Amino acid sequence: MADGSGRDIVAREALDHIDALYRLARYLTRRDADAEDLVQETYARALAGAAGFAPGTNLKAWLFRILRNRFISDHRRRRAAPLVDAADLVETTAARDEDWLRDDLELDRLRKVVGAEIEAALMSLTEEARTVVLLDLEDLSETEMAAVLDCPVGTVKSRLARARAALRRKLRDYAR
Amino acid sequence: MMDCAEARAQLLDSQHGRLGPAQREAVAAHIAGCAACAHEDAAERALTDALTQRLPARPASPALRERLARATTAPPRARWRRALVPVLVAAMALLILTPVVVWQRTSLRRAETAAMVDEAVADHLRVVQAQHPLEVESGGVHQVRPWFQGRLDFAPVVAFGGDADVPLRGGALAYFLDRKAAAFVYGLREHTVTLFVFRADGLPWPSRGLQRVGAGDVYRAQTRGFTVLLWRRAGLGYALVSDADPGELRALAARFLTGA
Repeated sequence: MADGSGRDIVAREALDHIDALYRLARYLTRRDADAEDLVQETYARALAGAAGFAPGTNLKAWLFRILRNRFISDHRRRRAAPLVDAADLVETTAARDEDWLRDDLELDRLRKVVGAEIEAALMSLTEEARTVVLLDLEDLSETEMAAVLDCPVGTVKSRLARARAALRRKLRDYAR
Repeated sequence: MMDCAEARAQLLDSQHGRLGPAQREAVAAHIAGCAACAHEDAAERALTDALTQRLPARPASPALRERLARATTAPPRARWRRALVPVLVAAMALLILTPVVVWQRTSLRRAETAAMVDEAVADHLRVVQAQHPLEVESGGVHQVRPWFQGRLDFAPVVAFGGDADVPLRGGALAYFLDRKAAAFVYGLREHTVTLFVFRADGLPWPSRGLQRVGAGDVYRAQTRGFTVLLWRRAGLGYALVSDADPGELRALAARFLTGA
């Protein structure tokens, strides 16, 4: 009988999260083949290190963290491209186009945006920004998100705010 | 009173159920009295809806799923070699005992699964017949979901928040067998549909007779004029119950089982 050790939980429940992991992998790597490799490698690492999973903590968050670390190290090895776009570092919350924001046009536009547009907007963001936007939808706590992204909670918040503001800017630009 | 900067900094946490009740109420109070932040709140919700409902789901391919299922169940090779002798002994014992044990386990499992189906129907009837079934009235899933925070030891994940045809009426706390559950109550014309969400571990989930619905494997049972659909996802268990048409209920289940 399976007991409640980290290894058993990983073996039993890791596959429940395959769609969530694949989705993040696919939006990070942009290609099905690369995403499959990344997810497969994530599971291999998770199984190998399953004893390190602490029962009672969030398995999905633990798997996301492995996936992200894998992605970053692969990415850095393959090409020395920066993960963070300089444009994302600009503080945007204060000086956003307030006219547009107050305008119901944006709201109307956001409600009508189609799948291909939101996907294109998401893919135009940096990998860091894409990651935080997608993780935010995965029902993790602030602390779990911070653990996945390996940064302080406050940084998660500011990155998320910047990434979503950038997403809204892109969608607004499509509308023009 | 919270100011705009504070409210905006907590807007997303509030919408995504990451705030405690007091903070959440402070954010709500600010939004109620500030048109600019109310607009920002609506825009962020609209963006979340676009991301959760319209962004292509990109589910894992069946081939990948199968490959990983094989990999997760196969023991690591080195350990296997060390354990070869006890494994062989165990295999022989299994050969002798398996037919009996499997038969007993299957019939036991079937009875336990039937108990889950009965529980789902009984819980659904409690929701339908209660005088005040809804502890939180719905203004959409973003209002109902955070309400459960602090009342449950898990965050109920619900991919479909209702629409014009199947409105989310509200939610209530419930018990499913030995554990707390979130009950999301939807309307489907004159029928009530209840979705129970609870921790999946330790329950006798059926492993046979599953059918593919959306991106998930669902167990379907009919009893006493009700249809019950059971599935698991990401460590949570789901029971969808109604006396509505079984086909319609299956189609509704698919909306909870998008690839996201």
